[in-house]
Amino acid sequence: MTKELVVEKETQNKIVNNSSFALKVENLSKIYDSAAGRVVALDKVSFAIKKGEFVSVVGPSGSGKSTVLNLVGALDRPTSGKIYIDGIDIFSLNDSKIATMRNSRIGFIFQSFNLINRTTVQKNVKLPGIIAGMSSDDANSRSIKILEALGIADKKNQKPVNLSGGQQQRVAIARSLINNPSIILADEPTGNLDTKTGDDVFDMLKMLSHKFKRTIIMVTHNPELAESTDRSILLRDGRIEKDVIN
Amino acid sequence: MNPKDLFLLSFEALVDRKVRTLLTILMVVLGSSLVVVLNGLSAGQSAFLEKQLNTLAANVLFVGSGQRSLSSFATSTSNSITINDVIVQKLRSLPNVSDVIPEYTGSVQMNSEGNTQRASITAIDPSKLPVELPNLEYVDGSTVSPGDRSAALVGDTIVNPPGADSAFVVLGQTIKATATYTDAGKQVTVVKNFVVTGILKPSGNTGIDRSIIVNLDAGNQLLHKQNRYDQVIIAATTPEDVDTVQQEITGMFGKTLGATTPKAIMAVRQQAASGNAAFILMVGIIALVVGAVGIVTTLYNSVTERIREIGTMKAIGAQNITILALFLVEASLIGVIGASLGTVIGIGGGYIMSIATTTTPTGGGPPIHIPPIFVPMDLIKVWLLSLTLSVLAGMYPAWKASKLSPMVALRRE
Repeated sequence: MTKELVVEKETQNKIVNNSSFALKVENLSKIYDSAAGRVVALDKVSFAIKKGEFVSVVGPSGSGKSTVLNLVGALDRPTSGKIYIDGIDIFSLNDSKIATMRNSRIGFIFQSFNLINRTTVQKNVKLPGIIAGMSSDDANSRSIKILEALGIADKKNQKPVNLSGGQQQRVAIARSLINNPSIILADEPTGNLDTKTGDDVFDMLKMLSHKFKRTIIMVTHNPELAESTDRSILLRDGRIEKDVIN
Repeated sequence: MNPKDLFLLSFEALVDRKVRTLLTILMVVLGSSLVVVLNGLSAGQSAFLEKQLNTLAANVLFVGSGQRSLSSFATSTSNSITINDVIVQKLRSLPNVSDVIPEYTGSVQMNSEGNTQRASITAIDPSKLPVELPNLEYVDGSTVSPGDRSAALVGDTIVNPPGADSAFVVLGQTIKATATYTDAGKQVTVVKNFVVTGILKPSGNTGIDRSIIVNLDAGNQLLHKQNRYDQVIIAATTPEDVDTVQQEITGMFGKTLGATTPKAIMAVRQQAASGNAAFILMVGIIALVVGAVGIVTTLYNSVTERIREIGTMKAIGAQNITILALFLVEASLIGVIGASLGTVIGIGGGYIMSIATTTTPTGGGPPIHIPPIFVPMDLIKVWLLSLTLSVLAGMYPAWKASKLSPMVALRRE
């Protein structure tokens, strides 16, 4: 039985009736206590994202965009509130099961790609599958299919460091897809790319959303890109100021 | 994650930092090879000593002038008496003594058909040799001539010096022995020819194998001993009587004569050897600990440098235990490679060291080479110790990496 199935079984009783949503956030708050004082990064934020929706999260610096993404990605725990992914209350799980959730249900795309440069493109793509215990044959065939779909199969044996920024981000996108996650979290995916390459990467995300019905949440500073998504959530001072369908 | 993937990821991480990995492996190699070398040399020396003493009869005692130091077999000249025929007769009169065999010892320059070498010389009644060395055997054709002042028995190492293409001397051949002594400040040289009537088979006792053995009177004359014996070998009636005889000698002569037994020499040597082995083990373990500190440093730096990678791994779902295992496998790989190379290099180094430390005896003659002995179980223990220390050294960095918060790790530049 794979880890994914174990988590599935063990968390059945924690699944609430939110199955029409890929993601549901309820009264999410995050407060940081530091030497500088108490900082409310998020203040009772609630929203839900339907399966296959492409949502952008926008807002000025310090508005809480990255905090939302970190919490939804289960990289950090909230001060209060709940997050449901596929109906599972993720913070009711222990750290080990949260790690399995990240592996099986969440795909990450980082601004600076975060690829492992000492190993090949294909190995980078396979890595979440390897962690999940996917067989070598499955990981190989699946990674090749994804790399072909993203147009970089010919780079499979190269080291990421030898690729352009756009190609590296495609590798990161491919990696985020290997375990067929419920949601893909993209943190400023075009932030480190020039305009044309950034547009290409964005088009790729859009294609994934529309053609393959992937649920994508993208944090961006770029208003034009945000307007091109299905929906934009504007955050300011840790609260949702606007939630608009584009 | 399956073990194969875990191994490959760890291996790639080590290969990615080639120089640092090699230097860390080198530390482990140095530590483990040092332990292997020292252990091998120590075991070789113990075995060598045991072999020497095992060739001696169990019922003999060695008596010399003054108090004998068991560890060095040296004698103290203060408060001593000269061993002459009177003393020998007194010793003969002691109860439980079956034989008393006096001997002169020294060193001479040997000359045989233009070839020369230094050798130890023992002057003794040759017919009494089996009393001291019961397992002594002769090359075919040898004869023992107790009363023949020009006959000589020659040890195997003298006949076949290490590295020589041909024998130094053969049966029936005449050899010239040259001895020197000082008389009233003048150096006097005495030369005497001997006919080789007997060649000893290798006995395992380097003292005998590297000696020529001549008649007592011939030795007295050649070495200018003036009837003062260097040593007396006493054969007790049975091995059980040895301690009694030793006490009788002490009772009769006090500290003016020293008597010791092969058993006592062995016990002291073994004690010294165990002390030596403990010291060697300590030195080796210190070297291994230094290697372990190297592993801690390497992996700790690696954790710091790869903090974003660790964050990424966690973000894509790696469990804490997976991260812990990755770093522990790295430590284990360093340990396995270091310990294996260290063992091989240690064995080679042991042989090189034993050749390098070959010594020429004070009495002259061919150098003594004591080969190291490597006991497989000892090698396995050193290997396991090196590996265990390496894994223990990897524990803290691995634990630190596994406990990193993914968000904190991803934010780190």
